[in-house]
Amino acid sequence: MRTCLSDAVAPSVWKSSKRVLERCGVQVKVPRGQTCCSQPAWTAGHPDQARAVARHTIDVFSGPEEVVVPSGSCAGMVVHAYPEMFKGQPEEEAALDLARRTIELTQFLAKHELDPGPGAPGPVTLHDSCHMLRVMHESQSPREALANAGCEVREMQHTDRCCGFGGVFSINFPELSGRLGEEKAREAIASGAREVVSCDLGCLMHIVGVAHREGIPLRARHVSEVLDR
Amino acid sequence: MSTAQGGSAQSGDPVMDLLMASLTRRKATAQVVDAAGAGREAARWMADAGVARAVLASDPVVERIGLADALKREGIDVRMWPTGLGKRETMGLEGPVDVCGVTVPSLAVAERGTIVLEASEGHGRGLDVTSRHHVALLPADRIVRTLGEALALTFADGRPAPSAVSLVSGPSRSSDIEKISTLGAHGALTEHVVIIR
Amino acid sequence: MSTRKRRADGGVAYLDVQGTLRERTVDALRDRTLRGNLDTAATSWGESRDAMREEYGLDEMRERAREIRRSNIRNLPALLTEMQAKVREAGGTVVRAADGAEACRYITGLARARGVKVVAKSKSMATEEIKLNEALDDAGIEVVETDLGEWILQLANEHPSHIIAPAVHLNREQVAALFREEAGTDDVPDDREGLVAHARVRLREKFAEAGIGVSGVNLGVASTGTVCVMENEGNARLVTSQPPIHVAVMGMERVVADWDEAAHILQVLPMAAIGQDAANYVNLITGPRRDGESDGPEEFHLVIIDGGRGALRGTEFEEALSCIRCGACLYSCPMWRSVGGQAYGSPYSGPIGAVITPLLEGPSSPASRDLPFMSSLCGACGEACPVGIPLQDLLVRARARSSSPDTRKSGLAFRAWSRLWRRPSTYRAWMAGWRLMLRARGKDGWATELPGPGAGWTQVRDMPTRWPPRR
Repeated sequence: MRTCLSDAVAPSVWKSSKRVLERCGVQVKVPRGQTCCSQPAWTAGHPDQARAVARHTIDVFSGPEEVVVPSGSCAGMVVHAYPEMFKGQPEEEAALDLARRTIELTQFLAKHELDPGPGAPGPVTLHDSCHMLRVMHESQSPREALANAGCEVREMQHTDRCCGFGGVFSINFPELSGRLGEEKAREAIASGAREVVSCDLGCLMHIVGVAHREGIPLRARHVSEVLDR
Repeated sequence: MSTAQGGSAQSGDPVMDLLMASLTRRKATAQVVDAAGAGREAARWMADAGVARAVLASDPVVERIGLADALKREGIDVRMWPTGLGKRETMGLEGPVDVCGVTVPSLAVAERGTIVLEASEGHGRGLDVTSRHHVALLPADRIVRTLGEALALTFADGRPAPSAVSLVSGPSRSSDIEKISTLGAHGALTEHVVIIR
Repeated sequence: MSTRKRRADGGVAYLDVQGTLRERTVDALRDRTLRGNLDTAATSWGESRDAMREEYGLDEMRERAREIRRSNIRNLPALLTEMQAKVREAGGTVVRAADGAEACRYITGLARARGVKVVAKSKSMATEEIKLNEALDDAGIEVVETDLGEWILQLANEHPSHIIAPAVHLNREQVAALFREEAGTDDVPDDREGLVAHARVRLREKFAEAGIGVSGVNLGVASTGTVCVMENEGNARLVTSQPPIHVAVMGMERVVADWDEAAHILQVLPMAAIGQDAANYVNLITGPRRDGESDGPEEFHLVIIDGGRGALRGTEFEEALSCIRCGACLYSCPMWRSVGGQAYGSPYSGPIGAVITPLLEGPSSPASRDLPFMSSLCGACGEACPVGIPLQDLLVRARARSSSPDTRKSGLAFRAWSRLWRRPSTYRAWMAGWRLMLRARGKDGWATELPGPGAGWTQVRDMPTRWPPRR
């Protein structure tokens, strides 16, 4: 799954993810018809509009293959929210099936003990995205993947705290969202690394966007891009 | 009054030791005494704390250890519950300030440093909180390990529920100013538990 | 003085709330002292919680607490019937109030009938919810909050900012100034011990005068008809033992079946609330004083409030009724930690407040319909909740139920979005157009101003137009 944010802002993220998987010998299909997991409408409080888009996503990914997503948030949407969204609907079985087959990129690497070889040396600091941490319940797999790639991770303070992105929240409450983003950017730079890495592109766009506005010299890359070097 | 008064630190009884440790953690003080010396020890603790008046629960334990006489020997004014004093004096707005309420817990919870006070004719609901100091006279065989056991015994089937039961875990405190714990908010500033073997 | 006075519709949110929710967050963000105070409080809570996690096996405790509370809510009607019968058996009076207005009418009526001039209260969120203070005030009856934090707020003419620690946003100097004003003298110490001792004496005067003591209820135990009131200061015991009448105000969902369940919840609550394994005082009250007893109230009244709770049973929001009002989700919430409870403009703030306030008030209430949106859905609340309420899921459901001009507008936008994004061709065309727009707007790899919904983004941050972004 490419994710809509990657399509909109950073196609390099899904391309890197694909290369990383192929380096591990995984046969990767990127269905051309895919669009979005529908999270924006779901969290904005419009479940019917979300369902229409999610239905399309279920169709596109209807094969038996595992579905690898370079985003803890989009993976979490499919794994955690689809079962609720399609409860009592005709697509319920298909939604549960997709939820069972869906996994985040670094979790997939860890699950199948795949090693894509050396990546960027770092140092970087890792932001645990909330949905990776508290929906996918995962904090180890990105650290393992980075360690295996020979990338040094310098932990920042409060890495489990929200960066304030929150999808539609970042637009509805920009001041509050921005303040949390600034705190996160300052904690990231205080780790001694100049680059923040995460499994979620949304958080990164937000953190680095605030950092750029505030003059904080912080760079950002998706975890797949660090592994892809 | 903040210094902890001694008493024996180790009793050799694991549940009693656990209670002592929990009471210390809850900022209460405790001592273990034999029944014979209990009245004298408790009276001495109150005298050292500067207590001017003691209000005692009317309870067989208080009588058994001869506390009233021991207190009088220390020059402390003794009142038995119910005292018949007016509300303002009961709450320390009139009369001596350094009043000590003396209670007899029905049970104590070793894990939490909690004593269980049941209201009854001889045992006022407010005895321990209206006064500045609180001394609890706890017979050692009333210690249980968990809160669950204490509540199961207190509210056992077939036993009428007391009108009021208070679970007291250390002296009164407030963290309402700057989230820092300050002792002696509305209730007692000190809590001293005399465990009677 | 006037901010507390005018209200009257029986709703939940405060009517003195100014501006939109977003405007209030902006105001709160400007207040550096507030931010410092909140952060200190939340951090110390977090540290004590972490220290307890291993020692007490908080995760297993949570599972059991979750089961107990779910079963309580499933059996709520039967438990309330039993509770009611047992309280009456013990000589107490029970009143079931459909809403806050009815509860307030009963309590002010009781005060009038007994000629009561002063009411002493211990901390209770339920009485904040029903606006009891305002009702008593209108009836010409003096109300005194006796919890230290609540009293400070009463003097400051403010509403609580946290369920457990109401005045957590004020510092010592601010408190000392309020006490001097109340006492009408400069002779008030400004160290913490001195301030606490000062309040102790001032409030004892009120306890001596009060004709009614009003408390909240942390738990009702159905099997014996006992109310549990948990506290650290000792004021709730004075409230429930000194005045001749005790009125306990309880939300209808706060009942457990028996003492086995109560023992568990009574331990979970302080751990989650204050990071301590016991509250200093837990007052377990079963009816008024008995014959022969010489203190304790002669009358005991239990007021059980529905206020929209009953209607939540059997809905997708039922789990919210499991809440034991510990405040853990508030401390854990990055939004609450940033702006405090008062910005929410309702008695219940933080994630649980954002879920239940619009439920109790109705989905189109202007005062609360935006609350569910003030969350990044980070899930820290659900993780902190000691009874396992999936707060982030409830927030999403509450958003779907919210009805306001903003949600209608975004509904139209998402209808268009949905049409575009369920077809790969229109999706790809839109994305290509968007990327072109980004390139066109970008200077040195960054866009500083975007049109449409992007404007909310660029108000506080730039948008990278190349990825990985340039420095």
